[in-house]
Amino acid sequence: MDPSISSEPAADFPAVLRRQGLHPAPFLAAPHPASAVPDSTHATTILAFKFSGGVLMAGDRRATAGNVVVYDRADKVLEIDRHSLMAIAGVPATAWEMARVLEHSFQFYRRTQLQEMSLDGKVRALSKLLRDNFGFVMQGVGIVVPIFATYDAPAQAARLYFYDAMGAQFEAADYAVSGSGSPAVRSVLYYENTWGARPLRERTREEAVILALRALDTAADLDTATGGVDRRGRIYPILKIVSVAGISTLGDEELASVFRQNV
Amino acid sequence: MIEEPYRWVEAIANRREYIEHQLAGGSPLVALTYQGGILFLTLSRERQKIFEIYDRIAMGAIGHPGDIERLRMAAIEVASTEGFTRSSQDVSLRRLAAFSLSPALKAAFEQVYGPPYLVRMLFAELGEPNLFYRIDYDGSIHTNGGAQLRTFEHFGVISGTPLSAAAMTRHLSGANHAGLPLPEALRVAVDAWTVGRLAREGDEGPFPPEKIQSARAEHLKDFVIEAAVLEKDAPQAAAYRVLPPREIEDAIGNPS
Repeated sequence: MDPSISSEPAADFPAVLRRQGLHPAPFLAAPHPASAVPDSTHATTILAFKFSGGVLMAGDRRATAGNVVVYDRADKVLEIDRHSLMAIAGVPATAWEMARVLEHSFQFYRRTQLQEMSLDGKVRALSKLLRDNFGFVMQGVGIVVPIFATYDAPAQAARLYFYDAMGAQFEAADYAVSGSGSPAVRSVLYYENTWGARPLRERTREEAVILALRALDTAADLDTATGGVDRRGRIYPILKIVSVAGISTLGDEELASVFRQNV
Repeated sequence: MIEEPYRWVEAIANRREYIEHQLAGGSPLVALTYQGGILFLTLSRERQKIFEIYDRIAMGAIGHPGDIERLRMAAIEVASTEGFTRSSQDVSLRRLAAFSLSPALKAAFEQVYGPPYLVRMLFAELGEPNLFYRIDYDGSIHTNGGAQLRTFEHFGVISGTPLSAAAMTRHLSGANHAGLPLPEALRVAVDAWTVGRLAREGDEGPFPPEKIQSARAEHLKDFVIEAAVLEKDAPQAAAYRVLPPREIEDAIGNPS
């Protein structure tokens, strides 16, 4: 039989990749002595919180290596399917590969099983990828600490999750943050949610956008690895919203006008 | 006995006869180009027959459910692996059909000690131009000629019998449906299906509109329309969408 048609159908997409030798599996070698303790600063800031219209997810655009700015147009908020977003903090090579595997896993599941993967299944799929990647993390390379948001159709609500590098998943009640700038934005979000005019989940889309941009501005001011706004280069943070209608991305013009008036 | 060449030819001929007999009851299946992309349609009573394969590729099939499922999974795996390692644009129906499916089908068909696949499949790929591939149980491929960037037909059909498929082809060849909006394309597809169904029952035609009309009304009582589209202006990469019953009823009219 033709080698490209396998005799047994695969259970899921990572299994397909593994069979073809394409899965980015870690080589579980002994940790390098110099980097036995994984570097816990994942130079970036990503944040997400629930507001009246769903979940807003935002990320800065800077990619760094040590003290060098490598790239100022990185996209850290990635669309995984029609209703799911993943924001990434950590090593870009691993994170983008993970996003790619995840995207293909959901589609593969839908196409082969003839139904959407359940919410729990999706959340768990990312957890499993992180767990598979832990060999890299222990070698001091390839750490990824993502945030995941998706729309829960049966419950008619947007849901938000954050993870640790080993793959533990936590559902966030109101907000989630990750990356080196996260202590700063976490304080901002806590303060706004608890002591602000209204809790985050009661805020309008416009208020949510302003808050996200102000929080990122705070992070950029306090953390060298988080990029601010380059108004001359017209480089703005990436903001995306998960709602019942799917995913929407805020355009640069809207962000520019919010910046002029409110940030 | 199979070691002798003429015995082998005989065995293959028997096998072909057997498979054709098995497939003869298959419900016709139509795919055609319309204004917004490609429409797949069939009428059935039990099993799903139209499936998404990849971002711009879909398939319909008749035959043994186990064999259809096996080949469907294989097609999705091949396309997904290609799309993952390269990109969505690198997934091509031509390659999927000619490189992956056809050799496997041919091998299974001609190795007379093993079981053949009892299937007849219709694949379509959204593109410029839209491609329609009919792949048979013996690995043979019939296309609408898109390889030379020139298409001879804006549709593809499969059916249980060659006569039925030929009648549908004649029916659809009469006009170019590529500019029709979806509701009208749905009506054209149901008519083509009806012609295919009548021909499969032994009706040799001709098929004037009144005859199609009454046969269609009769069939809609007993069958359910299954339809899906590959939309060229889909907001996301995956162009496949199953048409919900309401959208079909609005175009065709409720049978009850």
